[in-house]
Amino acid sequence: MPPSPAPGSQVSPTPHIEVNGLELYYGSVPAVRGVSFNVLPGEQLTLLGPSGCGKTTTLRAIAGLEQPTAGEIRIDGVTVYSSQRGISIRAEKRGLSMVFQSYAIWPHMTVFENVAYGLRVRRKVAAEIAERVDRALEMVQMRNFASRRAAQLSGGQQQRVALARAFVFSPSVLLFDEPLSNLDAKLRADMRIELRELQHRLGITSVYVTHDLEEALAMSDRIVVMRDGLIEQTGTPDEIYRLPNSAFVADFVGSANLIRGRHRVDLDTDGLTALETSAGHIVYGMAYERAVGAELVVSVRTVHLRISTEPPAAMQNVWRVPVRQTVFQGDFTQVHLGWGEQHLIARCAAMEPLAAGQQVYIAVEPRHVVVLAG
Amino acid sequence: MPSAESSFSAQKFAGYGVAAVAAVLVLYPVFFLLQAALDVGDPQVRPPTAYGLDNFSGIFQYPQILLNTLTVSVAATVMSLVFGFVMAWILTRTNVPGRHLFEQLMAVPYYLTPLLGALAWSLLGSPESGFINQVWRALGGNDHLIDINTAYGIAWVMALFEGSVAFVMIAAVMKSMDPALEEASQIMGAGRLRTMLRITLPLVVPGVLGAAIFVFAEMLGSFAAALVLGTPSRYYVITTAIYQLVQQYPPKIQIAAAMGASLFAVMFFMLFLYRRIVMAGSYVTITGKAFRPRVADIGPLRYLLLGVCLLYLFAAVGLPLITLLYASLQKIAVAFPAADNWTLENFRIAVTMNAVRSALGNSLLLGFATATIGVVLMGLLAWLIYRSRLPGSGLIEYVVMFPQAVPRLVFAFGLMWAWVVFPIPIYGTLSLLLIAYLTVFLPLGVRTIAGVMLQIDKSLEECAQMCGASWAFRVRTVTIPLLVPGLVAAWLLLFIASIRELGASILLMGPHSKVITPSIVESWFGTSSELTAALALIQTLVVAIAMIVLVTITRRVGAHPVE
Amino acid sequence: MADSKKSIVTRRMLLKAGAAVPLLGMAAPAVLAQAPLKSPTKILDFMTNADVAKAEQEGQLVFYCHENEPGTAGIMEGFRKDFPKINTSYVRAQTGALYNKIVSERSAGRFDVDVIQLSDLAPAVDFQKKGGYEQYLSPETGAYKADHLSSPAGSFFWTGVDPAGIAYNSTKVSAADAPKTWQDILNPRWKGSISCKISASGLQFVQWYTLRKLYGADFWKEFAKQNPHAFDSRVQLFDRLAKGDDLITAIGEYPAYILFKDKGAKVEFVAPADGLPATPLIVGAVSKAPHPEAAKLFVDWAMSKRGQAWYQTNPNLYYGSVRTDAPPMPTGVRLGDLKLLYPADWDDYAANRDVFAKEWNGMIGL
Repeated sequence: MPPSPAPGSQVSPTPHIEVNGLELYYGSVPAVRGVSFNVLPGEQLTLLGPSGCGKTTTLRAIAGLEQPTAGEIRIDGVTVYSSQRGISIRAEKRGLSMVFQSYAIWPHMTVFENVAYGLRVRRKVAAEIAERVDRALEMVQMRNFASRRAAQLSGGQQQRVALARAFVFSPSVLLFDEPLSNLDAKLRADMRIELRELQHRLGITSVYVTHDLEEALAMSDRIVVMRDGLIEQTGTPDEIYRLPNSAFVADFVGSANLIRGRHRVDLDTDGLTALETSAGHIVYGMAYERAVGAELVVSVRTVHLRISTEPPAAMQNVWRVPVRQTVFQGDFTQVHLGWGEQHLIARCAAMEPLAAGQQVYIAVEPRHVVVLAG
Repeated sequence: MPSAESSFSAQKFAGYGVAAVAAVLVLYPVFFLLQAALDVGDPQVRPPTAYGLDNFSGIFQYPQILLNTLTVSVAATVMSLVFGFVMAWILTRTNVPGRHLFEQLMAVPYYLTPLLGALAWSLLGSPESGFINQVWRALGGNDHLIDINTAYGIAWVMALFEGSVAFVMIAAVMKSMDPALEEASQIMGAGRLRTMLRITLPLVVPGVLGAAIFVFAEMLGSFAAALVLGTPSRYYVITTAIYQLVQQYPPKIQIAAAMGASLFAVMFFMLFLYRRIVMAGSYVTITGKAFRPRVADIGPLRYLLLGVCLLYLFAAVGLPLITLLYASLQKIAVAFPAADNWTLENFRIAVTMNAVRSALGNSLLLGFATATIGVVLMGLLAWLIYRSRLPGSGLIEYVVMFPQAVPRLVFAFGLMWAWVVFPIPIYGTLSLLLIAYLTVFLPLGVRTIAGVMLQIDKSLEECAQMCGASWAFRVRTVTIPLLVPGLVAAWLLLFIASIRELGASILLMGPHSKVITPSIVESWFGTSSELTAALALIQTLVVAIAMIVLVTITRRVGAHPVE
Repeated sequence: MADSKKSIVTRRMLLKAGAAVPLLGMAAPAVLAQAPLKSPTKILDFMTNADVAKAEQEGQLVFYCHENEPGTAGIMEGFRKDFPKINTSYVRAQTGALYNKIVSERSAGRFDVDVIQLSDLAPAVDFQKKGGYEQYLSPETGAYKADHLSSPAGSFFWTGVDPAGIAYNSTKVSAADAPKTWQDILNPRWKGSISCKISASGLQFVQWYTLRKLYGADFWKEFAKQNPHAFDSRVQLFDRLAKGDDLITAIGEYPAYILFKDKGAKVEFVAPADGLPATPLIVGAVSKAPHPEAAKLFVDWAMSKRGQAWYQTNPNLYYGSVRTDAPPMPTGVRLGDLKLLYPADWDDYAANRDVFAKEWNGMIGL
C-alpha cells in the first residue's frame, strides 16, 4: 500500500530516509517482499507487526547489517543501497546509530568506555569525549555509574547506557530494535515516556521496531504496520487506530469486532453506509472515503460498544442481546455477547456486574463503525 | 555522512590469506600421500616412474590386519560408549557428590596421553611380568589373570584413554535435553525406569549414535596403544602396520601409503556420515542451551555411584601413574621387590640424559610456538568460517576439518614426502614439526575457538559496527578482548596437545628435532622399561603443570575449555 | 664392482698365504683420487689427518647410528668428553631402517650426515659402491688388519664386534633344561617364550646366514614355528628375559648379557660349541658431509686406542675390539677366545639380503 499522506499536510518536506521496493530473501525464504516508505527529518517512525513480519529485517537492512535482495535505500539523499546500481555501503560507513534488543553492552568495558566508544572511533580528543559522555549519561540519569563495570548493571541500567552510547556522537538517525522488550511491564511503561522525551529533545530522526501496540501508539509520529513481509498500512497512530483499512490492522491495533454483511444501498442515509448481516441486523457505519463494494466488512472497536441495562437514547445500531460471559481484567471488563450467530466483545470500564444470560442493550455510534477498505 | 565504498578491505585480505595458508597446509601433504600410494615404480626413485592401483590390491595380502583393526576398533568403541554413557548419566543426571569436579577430571586421561596408559597397563597386564599377574600368582592363581597384549587389552586401554570424547559428546547430549519432556512423562504416571526407556533413551539415541560414529573413526586411527601392546606379539592394526612397513627393512613404503590412503578414505566417510546424522553442517558442539537437566535424587545409591566414578578415575589415572612410579623406582620392575631393588638411578639417568633434556626442551619450545601461532591462525580461520560472510567460507571449513579424517601417522607420511623435496631446508628440523602440528591440530583449535566465538552475541560486534568502527578496529577493541578467555583455553589445549603428540612426530623427527613423546616410545623399544617409566612420569609432570594452569586460568576468567 | 670383488678375493688369498701387502699400493686408484695427504697431527693421544681447529670451528657432528638410544648417546658422550667444543647430535635406527633413511635422504638431495655406524657389512659395502663414504685414510689405520677395513681401505672400518649366543632366565629355566646348542632353540618347550631381533638388525642377518650355512635352510623354518617375539634392541630382549616375559632369547648378545648381569638380573649366557655369530660394527665418514673435518676427527678418534677403550668399557656398548693392540673386554674375555662365526663369503652374504628379509619378515613382520 502506498503511504497515505498525513491529513491536512501540504507539500511534504524532503524525507531523511527513503526506502523503495525493498526485498530480502534468505535463499528462497522471503523475509521482506517489497516495502516502501519514507521517514521525515526529526520524526519517529515505528515499524509495527507480529513476529516474522519482516520489521526487524527491514530495520537491519537500513542499518546495513543485512544485505537486501533488491530495492533502494537512501539516507539524506545519498544512496546507501541500490540493487540496480550495485551500491552497498558498509554499516559502519552509513553514519547511523542503533540500540539493540539485547542492549549489546560490552562486558569488558566500564560504562564510560561503552558510551565513549563511538567518539573514540571518530577520534575525538579526550576532553571532548569526557564532556560529551558526561552529558549523555546525565541525560539518561546514569552519571554516577560512569566507572562501573558494565557487566554489573541491571537490565534497565544497561538499557540506558545503550541509549546514551547511541546518541552521544550526535548521529542524525537512531534505529531501535525492540529495545524495551526485555524489560518488565512497569519499567517498560516508564522507559517509553523517557525515550519519547529524549527523542524530542534531541530532534533525531528515529526508526523504531516493536511488536508492542501500546509502545507504538505512545511513541510514534507515524506507524507502518507490517505483515508477512509487506506493509498493511501507514499513518499516524490516530489514523491507524480510528481508521484501520484492513481486518488485520483493525484487530492488531486494538481489539476490534469484525462484522460482515451485504451493502444495503437503499438504506444509506446522511453519509452513512448501511449493511445487513446474515442474521438480518442492520448496521450503520461510515465509509470515510473508501470504496464500498456489494459485500463489505466493518470494524467496531470493543471499547466503542456501549452496554446498558436500560434502553439507550440512540436510534441506530441498538440491539438487545444476551450476555454470554464476562472476564474481569482489572482496569476493564471484557463482556462477551451473543448477537445473531456472531460473538461480539465489548470492553467496559468499571460497571455493575453482569450475569451470564442476562439481557442487555448494546449500542455503537455510526462514526465508530468503520468500513474497511477492499 | 555515508561515504563511498572501497573494494579492497583488510577483512578480505586477512580472510583469504589465512584460507590460502590452511589450504596449503592441509592439501599439500595429502597430495603426496596419494602420489606415494599410486606409485608402482621403483620405490627408491623419486618422483614416481609409474602409477597404478597395485598397492591398493596389495593391502589384501594382509587380511589379518584389517580384521584386527576392526576387532579392536569395534571393541574400543563399545567400551568407550559404555564408559561414556554410564559416566555421563551419573555426572549429569544424578546428584552424585562432587559431580562438577568429576566432569572436569574426566578430561585428565586424555591429557595423560594413551601412550602413558599403554606403558602402565603393559607393566600391569603382561602375561608373565605384569604386576597384576604377579599378584595373582602370589595369591595362588594359575598362569595369568589378564593378558593386556591381546585385542581386548588394546581396546581396553584405548577406551580408557581415548574414550573421553564419548563422554563429552554424550554428556553434551544429555545436558541439552529438555527436562520438561521427561517431566511430562512422569506426570502422566510413568515410573522412572519406564520414563528412561521410553522417553530419555530414544531422545538420547541419535546423539549416542553420532558419538559412536565419531569415536569409531577416532579408534580406527589410534596408534599408541596398539604400538606398545600389540607390536611385540605381532598383533598389527592398520596404523601400527603402516609404521612397521615404513620402519622395517626393506620398507614397503608404497603399500604403507596405500593403507594410509585407504584408512583416510574410510575415516573421511565415517566423519561425513557423522556430520549428516548429527551436526548438519557445523562441527561446533552446541553449548549453552538454556536447559538445566533434571538431576535425580537417588538417595544412598549416590555413594555407590561415587565409587564407580572413583573406580573409573583410578583405572584411568591413578593406577597408571602409581604403576609407573613404582616401576621407575626399581632396578628391575617386579610386583614384590626385594629391598635392594629400589633405586633413583632411572630418574637420574632420565634427567641427565642429554637426549631427554633436548627432547623436553624441544617439546616445550615447539609447544609454545604451536600454541601461539596456532591461536592466531586458528582464530582467524574460526572467524572466517563462522563469522565473516566472505564467499567460500563453507569450503574452507571442509579443508580445515580434513585432518580429523586422517590419522596423524598417515598425515605425517604425506608431510614427510611433501617437505623433503621442498627447496627450503626444513626437513628434519623443528620447523617441520611445527608445520605438522599446526596442520593436524587445525580441527581442534578451530573448533575450540569457534565454540567460544559463537557464544559471543553477534550484536556486540554489530553494535561496534553501528558506532562506526571499521573491521580492524572492532576486532581489536571488541572481538579479541571478549575472546581472550577462549583464546587462552585454546592456547593451553594446543600446548598440551603438541607435547603429547606421537603419531606425526615419530615419523618426522630429525637429529636436531627430537621431541619427548616419541622419545618415550623409542626408549620403550630400546632401553629398559624402568627408565621408560621414569621418562613418562617426567613428561606427565610437564603436562600436569600445564593442565593446572589451564584449569586455574579458565576458572578465574569464567570460560569453560571446550574439547 | 667386479674390481672390489677381485680385490677381496686376491687379498684374502694373499693373507691366507701369509703375505702382507702394503695397503696403500692395493688401494692405489681410489687413493689417487683423494686430495694430497697432509702429514698427520697428534691430538690427545692419537694421530689424526683432520684439521682439528677447523673441526672445532665447524662445532657440530651429526651421527647416524644403529645402536639403541643409550648406546648411541654413550658413543657421543665419549667423543664430546674429548672434544667439548664439538656439539653432537644423532639419529638412531636399526641398521636396515637407518640405511634406508640415509639413502632416501641423499636421493632427495639432502646431505646432513657426518658419520654413520652400521651393524651390517652388506649395506656398508653397498654404501661404499654408491660413493656414500668419504674416502679418508686415517693414520690409525695401521692398527687394523685388512680384514677389518673396507676394501679398498679408507671408506670404513670395524669399530667393534658384537657376538651373540643364547641367553636364558635362570630363575625360570633350570640349568638342566637350559639350551646348550643351537639346535636346542628349536625345542617346542620354548614356543611363544623365545625372542629374536627384527629383520633390520645386522646381527640377526649374520646369525641367519651363518646358522643356515651350518644347519641348512630348514633350521630357520623350524624356528619360525616357535612364534618368536622380535625386537629392535638387545636391551629390550634382555629386559624381557630378566622379567620373565621370555624364557630364552635366540640371539643373546654378549655385551647385553654383561650389562644385565651387572644390574643383578638372573640371566645366564650360553656359548654353543659350534660358534657365536658375530657382526662387525662399521663406522665411516660420509661424503658431502656438512662438517667434514669433524667427521674425519671422529673416525680417527673411534679408531684410536682411546676411542676403542671407550667403546669397550662403556656399559651401553661393551663392544669387542678388533684393534690389534686392544686389551681384553671388561670380563677378561678376548674376542680371540671366542669362536666367532662370520659369513665366509661376504658377497654371497650381501646377495642374500633380500632372501633373508623376506623370510624373516614373513616370520615376524609384514
